[in-house]
Formats: sequence, structure tokens, C-alpha cells
Amino acid sequence: MKKVLTALLAAGALVTLAACGGNSNDSNGSGSGSNEKVTLKFQSLAFQKTTVAATKKIVADWNAANPNIQVEYVQGSWDSVHDQLVTQFQGGTAPDIIHDESADITGFINQGYLADISKYLSQETKDAVSQGVWDTVSKDGKVYAAPTLLQSYVVFANSNLLKQAGITATGDSLSWDDLAADAKKLTAAGKYGLGWGLKSPTATMLNLGLNFDAKFFDGTGQDAKATIGDAELEVPKRIHAMAYTDKSIDPTSLTQSGSDVLPGFYAGKYGMIVAGNYVAQQIAEEAPKGFQWEVLPPLKGTSSKQAANPQTLSVPAEGKHIEQSAKFIDYFMKAENLAAVGQGDWLIPTTQGARDAIQKATGGKNGWQQTLASGTELTKAPFQSVQNYPKWKDQIATPAFQEFLANKTDAAALGKKLSDGWGQVNQ
Amino acid sequence: MRTRPATRALQYAAVVVYLIFLGFPLLWLISSSLKSPQEFASITPSLLPKHANLSNYTDALNEQGLVRGLGNSLQISIYSTILVLIVALPVSYALARFRSRLRPLTNGWILVSQVFPVILIVIPLFMILRPLHLTNTIPGVVIVYMVWSLPFALWMLQGYVAAVPRELEEAAAVDGATRLRTIVSIVMPLLRPGLIATAMFTFISAWNEFFFALVLLQDPELKTLPLVLARFVGAEGQVQFGPLAAASVLATVPSLVFFAFLQRRLTSGLLSGAVKG
Repeated sequence: MKKVLTALLAAGALVTLAACGGNSNDSNGSGSGSNEKVTLKFQSLAFQKTTVAATKKIVADWNAANPNIQVEYVQGSWDSVHDQLVTQFQGGTAPDIIHDESADITGFINQGYLADISKYLSQETKDAVSQGVWDTVSKDGKVYAAPTLLQSYVVFANSNLLKQAGITATGDSLSWDDLAADAKKLTAAGKYGLGWGLKSPTATMLNLGLNFDAKFFDGTGQDAKATIGDAELEVPKRIHAMAYTDKSIDPTSLTQSGSDVLPGFYAGKYGMIVAGNYVAQQIAEEAPKGFQWEVLPPLKGTSSKQAANPQTLSVPAEGKHIEQSAKFIDYFMKAENLAAVGQGDWLIPTTQGARDAIQKATGGKNGWQQTLASGTELTKAPFQSVQNYPKWKDQIATPAFQEFLANKTDAAALGKKLSDGWGQVNQ
Repeated sequence: MRTRPATRALQYAAVVVYLIFLGFPLLWLISSSLKSPQEFASITPSLLPKHANLSNYTDALNEQGLVRGLGNSLQISIYSTILVLIVALPVSYALARFRSRLRPLTNGWILVSQVFPVILIVIPLFMILRPLHLTNTIPGVVIVYMVWSLPFALWMLQGYVAAVPRELEEAAAVDGATRLRTIVSIVMPLLRPGLIATAMFTFISAWNEFFFALVLLQDPELKTLPLVLARFVGAEGQVQFGPLAAASVLATVPSLVFFAFLQRRLTSGLLSGAVKG
């Protein structure tokens, strides 16, 4: 019997081993001499068809002009990209050019996984991006990624309902007081002035908090302290007041995701919605025929600042071809390239040149004018330098904001929870 | 004893309700795959598409390497299933039939192995596979899936082996059959439902698996179906619902065919009457 079992197991093992003749392809050339031909793997997370096409074109143009530095386009997806990269960094198989977002790579920078590419970026690229955005990808004077595209929170409005209510939203900005007043005007006959998908409220609160100079944190890394005062509670309080005092925000919408409120917006249930600017793409694609919409000027408190969390291109510290990879990234940052990918994904390029190119190409239509304007004030926020922010966000801030937005706690209790909660998670 | 008409009617009603419960998600998926973006965004969603069209299928097939992903998933799932069965059959037989002090330990270890979260083992696994040149290869993923499914497959098959009456094997031995002959000619035919159930479980585990494939496969040519489907979800939770629904329908077809083919062979009651009580 033992012989039989051994034979069967051996057969299984042999079949398995026979199947193991595949060739691994995880080397990407050798050496990094500038005249030696190298092939770089570029894992792109481009999502929209147009962006994928634009990115592939950038790669093709580069390959045509640089026979010794060939770039291989690899399609990745945003889903679980963090875990994928963690494993690849550990195993030394990360792509030569990594596409991610700054919030995600902060940890990688701290762990030393990414290369400093500052010396390989041209002065033109360095000058084209604002310092506030560079700060999101820099540490101790070193630059670990090139920031490519940004998103901001904007107000979308149903143009017909605005007209009927006699509202004209023009100018460089829209104050929070005006937003509240407009929402009140638009609230009538079972319809709400504003639908706001705040199912995951923390990012919105902290990003828009910069409108009132809200810091939420002092210091960086694990030494950061939570500072929750009037400035930090300003945005939540205003949203709460619109929902429960003015009754101009549909309270149900506060429990929905950003895109869940769109059907109500199209149906005229809400006169306005606040969402990420990229939602414009969805509206343009799926809104009913004849639906008139616009993007209102950027929201403004004491300023129009919002937190910048740009998409990024970076190079692994253990990459074999750091210089060549960074050169490609520098090429990717050219205005016409960033404009092409930004327009495809309906996101805001980090450089003024690319923003101008989109403005020219679109004529500012479909909300582009206001969207591009909202991108000029994006900057690094204190929470982006805080190591345990993700933990605080998931375990403390999100439930606390949700309770507050459900009218179950008051602002004082919210502030206390946010502050005390930081002490619990940052140990 | 005859069933009364009222009872029979209730039984049929219960079956119909259960079928609706099981079938509705699939119906909704197929309906969604035929809807336009405007219909998706309607505040009053309809069960059936108002203007059915196949553009979502065109998008899904043209742009995402769906067919290649289907092929890769099919290949990996079938290899994994075959290998799991080859290994699990003799091992489960040994565990069920031979008394040994190792048996409770082995069973305990099989149970414990099921509680490890994937994220915990993926990096060590990657580090082991890489020097063997098994990352970014189909065989590498097959081996991982085999190892991942094997404990549960052993559990399942053990139960089926234990259900085969020993008297049948003893009778075969009296007739002069060797152990191997007994296993091949007596035990295996009786184990067929168990083997098919195990095959189904292993196949569907491999077919649906996402995370190992994500980490181990970098070559676009090797991406499996779940990785291709993930491409329809963008940053900030944007989803291309129409093409995703279409791709999901197409992804469901092979597993439905596989199950339809196997379930007819999943006969029970094969053992009834084999041994006189």
C-alpha cells in the first residue's frame, strides 16, 4: 500500500514539476550604461479609454525617439495596487516606472523603497509644478516622484434650476455663505438645494478644511499631535447646518457615495452636488439628453485651498535603470503629454502649461474652466505627513464624522472624538 | 405514502421562490450588461433594459483583453483542479483509512492552515517562488492555487472516503484484488460524487482568486479574469458599470458550463444497497 501511495504522490509531484518549465521574465536588461539598450517596465493605472490611448501614445513617441531606452507599457489597475507594490518591493520586482498616488507612496518613501529622482528632472519640469504640490512627493529636500494629475472638490449645478431660482454663479470663487444661500434658494417642493455623497466623509472634510486653514495635525510622522479647533470644525459645522438647520441638503444623500447622488441630480431632486471634479466625465457620458449642467467657481472660505493628492510617477530605489526611468518620467511631464492624459481622465494636470493646453482644447466647456481654476490652489495638507493618518481616518474620523452628519452628536463631541481618537491610534 | 396536493404545491412554491432568489442576481447582471449609461444613472432603475444594446459587450471584448484573461483563468483553474485531485485522492484515502497518531495532528494542521490571511503569506510566498523563477508564470500560480485549495479538498474527500463501506474493500480483498486494484476499481467509482464536488470547489476557488494572481502575475499576457475585471474599476471608486456587467456575464459562462457538465455526474445514492444491512 505504501508503495502505491508513494507512486501516486510521486506522479502528482512529477506533473507539477513538469508544469514548472515556464520562463520568468523579471529581468529588464542589465547595466545602466547610457548607451546600452534597456527596456523599462511602466505599469500604468490609466483608467479611461482615452487616457489609456494617450498614455500608450506617449510611450510610443518616446520609444520612437529613444531607441536605447525602450519603455514597455504594462496595464495595471487601482484595485489593490498598494499590496501589489509592497510585495514587488520586497521581492525586487517592482516596475521600473511606478504609477500611484501621493497618499499611497508616502509610506514607501518613508520605508526607502523609492529613488530620489530630483537630479534627473529638468529645470523646466521643476518650475512647471507649484511648490505646494512638489511637497506632497518630497521629503528632506529629495524628490521621490513626479506629480502628474490632481483632483479637487467642485460644485456641480443643474443650470436650469439655477436659472429658475435666479442664481448666477460667476466670479473667481464661490463662498461657503453663498453656497448655503444658493442651496436654500433651490430648496422647495420636496427638492433639495444640495445633494452631497458623504458616505466616506473624512477625505472631504480634511481636503476642504484647508478652505478655512484647518490643520487637524501639528508635526509629522509619529510625533504629530491632533489639533482640533474652530478652523477644523468649520466645514463639518457648515454642512451640518445646511442639512439640519436650513434643511437644504438631503440628509439621505449624506449616507451615499459620491456617485450615488448622480441619479438624483439628473432627476432634478438636487439643484447642486459637491463631488470630485472627475465626476464631470460621468455626467457628460450618462446624463439624460438635454440635461444642462455646469461647474460653479471653486469654493472659498478664507482661501480656496484644498489638499493635493496627485497621481505620481516614481522609480524604485533598487531599480536597475533609475536615470533612464526618470528621463522618461521627465518626458511624461511635458505639457502636451500631461494635457492628453488629464483630459482623458478628467483630472487636473499639475503644470500650468498642461492646464492651458486643456483650456485651449476644450474651450473651457463641460466645466473645464472652473475645474482647472480649482486646481491652482491645491497644496500639501498637514495630514499628508502623518504616519498613522490612515488608521485614524478609518477607525476614528470616519465613524465620528458619520455620527455628526447623522445628527447624533454635536460639534464639541465630534472635536473630542477626533482629538482623543488620535491618542488611541498613534501609540 | 403519497404527498397531499397542498403539500406538493407548497413544495413547488418553495422551489420556485428559491430559484428566483438564486437566479435574480444573474438576471440583473445580464439586464445591466445590456443597459446604456443613461439607464444606469436613472433614479428609477428598471428590471429590464428599455433599449437593449450590445455596446457594453463590444467595449468589454475589445479593450480589456477579456478573452485572453478567460483563457488564462480556464487554463489555471483546470490545471489546479487536476493537480489537487491527483494529490488529494491518495492522501485523503490514507487519512481516512489508516489509523495513526499523525492523523489528528495532520487534520489539526489542515484546519489551522485555513485561518492564515492571504496577506500574511503572500510576501514569503513571493520570496520563495522568485528564486525558483515561478513568479510571473502560469505554473507558479497553479502551484500556489493547488497548495491553497489542498487542505479543504482533503477535508472534503476524507469524508467521502470514510463513507465508503470498508466491507466493500474487504470483499474485494477476499476476491484477490490488490490495494491498488481495490482503490481503482472499487473506491474511485464510489468516490466520484466526492471527486466532482472537490473538483467544483477547487475550480471555482481558482477561477475567482484575485490577490495571488495580482501579486504573482505582471505580464499582461498572463493576467487572469479577475485581474481583467478589476480594470473596470478606477481611482476614487469610479466604475464602468456597463462593460463590467458585460465582462462579468462572459466570465460566468465558462463556470456555468463547467458546472452544468459536472453536476449531472454528481449523483448521490450511489452507495445505497451496496452493502446489505
